[in-house]
Amino acid sequence: MTADGIPRALVIGAGIAGMQAALDIANAGYEVVLVERKPSIGGHMLQLSETFPTLDCAQCILTPRTVEVGQHPRIRLYTYAEVTEVEGELGHFRARIRRRPAYVDWTRCTGCGLCQEKCPARVPSDFEEGIGRRKAIYTLSPQAVPNKPVIDPASCIFFQRGKCRACEKLCPTGAIAFDQQETTVVEEVGAIVVATGFGLYPPAEIGEYGAGEIPDVLTGIQFERLLSASGPTAGQIRRPSDGKEPKEVVFVQCVRSRDPEHGLPYCSRICCMYTAKHAMLYKHRVHDGQAYIFYIDIRSAGKNYEEFVQRAMEEDRVLYIRGRISRLFPQDGKVIVWGVDTLTGKPIEIAADMVVLATAVVADPSAREVAGVLGIEVDEHGFFREADEAMRPMESTRPGIFLAGAAQSPKDIPDTVAQASGAAARVLALFQRWTHKEQA
Amino acid sequence: MRRIGVFICHCGLNIAGTVDVEAVAEALRHDPQVAYATTYKYMCSQPGQDLIRQAIAEQNLDGVVVAACSPAMHETTFRKASASAGLNPYRCEIANIREQCSWVHQNEPAEATLKATEIVRTMVAKTARDEPLHPLSMPITRRALVLGGGLAGLQAALDIADAGYPVVLVERSDHLGGKLAELSGIYLNFRGGPELLAEKVRGVREHRLIQIHLETELASLEGYIGNFRARLKPAGAPDDAAGEPLEIGAVVVATGFDLFPMRLLGEYGAGRYPDVVSGLDFERMLAQPDGLRRPSDGKEPKEVVFVQCVRSRDPQRGVPYCSRICCMYTAKQARLFRQRVPDGHATVFYIDIRSAGKGYEEFVQAAMQEDGILYLRGRVAKVFPEGDRTIVWGVDTLTGRTVEVPADLVVVATAAVSSAGAVELAQRLRVGTDPYGFFSEAHPKLRPVESLTAGIFLAGAAQAPKDIPDTVAQASGAAAKVLALFAQQELVQEPTVAYVIEEICAGCGICIGACPYGARSVDERRRVAVVNPALCQSCGACVAACPNKASQIHNWSTDQILAMVDALEL
Repeated sequence: MTADGIPRALVIGAGIAGMQAALDIANAGYEVVLVERKPSIGGHMLQLSETFPTLDCAQCILTPRTVEVGQHPRIRLYTYAEVTEVEGELGHFRARIRRRPAYVDWTRCTGCGLCQEKCPARVPSDFEEGIGRRKAIYTLSPQAVPNKPVIDPASCIFFQRGKCRACEKLCPTGAIAFDQQETTVVEEVGAIVVATGFGLYPPAEIGEYGAGEIPDVLTGIQFERLLSASGPTAGQIRRPSDGKEPKEVVFVQCVRSRDPEHGLPYCSRICCMYTAKHAMLYKHRVHDGQAYIFYIDIRSAGKNYEEFVQRAMEEDRVLYIRGRISRLFPQDGKVIVWGVDTLTGKPIEIAADMVVLATAVVADPSAREVAGVLGIEVDEHGFFREADEAMRPMESTRPGIFLAGAAQSPKDIPDTVAQASGAAARVLALFQRWTHKEQA
Repeated sequence: MRRIGVFICHCGLNIAGTVDVEAVAEALRHDPQVAYATTYKYMCSQPGQDLIRQAIAEQNLDGVVVAACSPAMHETTFRKASASAGLNPYRCEIANIREQCSWVHQNEPAEATLKATEIVRTMVAKTARDEPLHPLSMPITRRALVLGGGLAGLQAALDIADAGYPVVLVERSDHLGGKLAELSGIYLNFRGGPELLAEKVRGVREHRLIQIHLETELASLEGYIGNFRARLKPAGAPDDAAGEPLEIGAVVVATGFDLFPMRLLGEYGAGRYPDVVSGLDFERMLAQPDGLRRPSDGKEPKEVVFVQCVRSRDPQRGVPYCSRICCMYTAKQARLFRQRVPDGHATVFYIDIRSAGKGYEEFVQAAMQEDGILYLRGRVAKVFPEGDRTIVWGVDTLTGRTVEVPADLVVVATAAVSSAGAVELAQRLRVGTDPYGFFSEAHPKLRPVESLTAGIFLAGAAQAPKDIPDTVAQASGAAAKVLALFAQQELVQEPTVAYVIEEICAGCGICIGACPYGARSVDERRRVAVVNPALCQSCGACVAACPNKASQIHNWSTDQILAMVDALEL
């Protein structure tokens, strides 16, 4: 192990994994540079409605943590930023961080929200997964940390057509800065934690299920936004096509997971549980509705997970059908689902009001690029490779660079949190050596 | 008369969109205790905090109420801001008018405004009676106790010791390595358990800062986070055989798991059929250097049946939960069997195949496709010996047909259950367990490696069944929590803890039973109850239990609560 180094960490990605690693390192007394690509922190978990198996509201348990990260005296947060270059080695890395222009001077902005209220440009929101809209000047959520907006030039009327400037006129602190430029900072650190999370299989590439074409066929993460009290329907389950409450909803698991022919050979690990949760929450909102789940195997291998799925079946009367879907198509305002029940061997047809697809968890689209910047390896699917699959799951293939969360492979929240703390432990062991040498 | 400032936050439109914040401010200005009341768009922003600081100085305030979001969000922010202006931070209080008012009454703005006013008024009444308090500080013993010398305990001990802190590692058996030491080969790479362990065990044995106690158990643990006193005893010995107490700052519980006993499996012969073995027995058989031999007659088995979910996912006769590791180790065992006995044939009975880990699905697919292992979806009804074979009766639920397999050997994947003595140990540690004896984490999502007792952390299968990579990750996670604790100069604790008004305490001791944290005792000489503030979690159970109202919590006194009730005007 290196004899000395800079006791300061770079954490890439500020979802639940990156935040946990950053907090564990910072709470042990060391400085952390936390870099997030999006305008604010929290990652996918902030998009979730409630979480299995306790049905805790995701925002309620996460926002205290985002606030803690945002206010931590030892965490330097760069949002809307990316690591573009890393030089050096264990103990002495130099990271170049590019900050995208927000076109808002965050030192002046008070986060009052007036600009967002008055901005006339509305576009589909990525945070709402396309089923809700945002303005051209926006924050990801009202509880965003930092609570500072960015202007998306692609949808801003001023950037596109040269006039409007409504936000600039209204901003009480003169924070709008249309001439803001990209900036670069260089940070020196001794260790790096990679926590860049995951992506989801693009629905547009799933032909036979009509996702993206049939409006009432949604992905799991879109359904999450429908369920969320802070989502576009304020938690009401409504069909995108006509705003009606769906009475028959079909959930399909393993869409492109465990599917080496069309998609990915691996299991996405989280879908069985979130689908059970979706069906359960749907039944809690629509009491006279019927939920069907198509599955191959039910994978509920976690503390209280099996019991949770049993509850979905027994208390909420969710109908589990073992089988794959062969085809989906719209007909008379319904979505017709063709499939086979492999337990009875019989074909099944359901005229559904809505279909929710549990699409495969894939590596974050940026993962290969990040791997290139850091000089670490990814596996054939783009997930970061660990030093040893069994015994060293938090170490990358390069000394001083550690892995946390779903960037290494799909995992649920408790596994992510535990592994992120585990990555932090490795960083802390290095830092303690470099600073104290000797204890006790 | 007190001079309290009231600062009402709009929270953008989150509060002001429903509550008429100006009306609330105006109503509070008539409160005789309120010297100043104002509103601002975002009180937590820098200008908002400056506003508070300025008002404390200019208006000479001796208390601050911020009406805003939940105190979980910004109580720390506003207390820090108040302190920087010279006010005792415990005289700054939060009135939650967002989560408890504006958000839940979005359609009733008039009523929401009235309710917000009432909420703020009650907090003014409380603040008027707040004492200035100072955080408690306590020293920390920077030495960890790790209970269990399996993979989880080894990993946690190494991570803590590698950071330079001494570790006392206690193991009940006579060897380190736990269950892993008995594994013939692990998934995904078939490397042997002892080989994998060798590096870790050597690291622990040779570590200058790790003190190993084999065949030893915890006799007792007293004290609190940063300041525990642990007594150890020889395994199985009575508690009075315990040695001198050790000063300990943190505890990692890594006591692992056990397997559902074969002797309780009636339909599998209750341990009387020699060629029906548990998964762990089969691991030992695979590890024999002279080839695979079945127990009854030492012959090499050609036809092996593996049965998954034996007493797992079986609320009637076993445990309702999934044991999480059996699908993968069964696939591994079947594949290892096929490697050792190339002309052998393996059948696996399963309910669902759970191969949800990196490379796991591919591993099971290879078992089916490359090694020709037959997976049958169904439960086994009965197993019985016939001649020199063991007959397995089951149902294939995919075809609906009954299946009969004459096997040379049957391997049952018995449920992973909590380690023997786990519940008793939990009582000694004053931490919780679930109904099955697994240690309870502080929060199932966000605090998976902490127990609910401060300073006691959880690693590995003691918390719930888990496989090797998950165990390593979680054990290191527990170590991170210990390292963060040991990095503090001293422990700082909120002073809003319970205290006893000794003049009216009768020393009856009812509060001792009421306290869930063991924070109370009776000073026998003075016959009064005393509080250990380091253990108190301010839950208030003692306050409710005390017949004389001698038990109180700083800044949540009975007087304050009654004053808050009196302040309600509606």
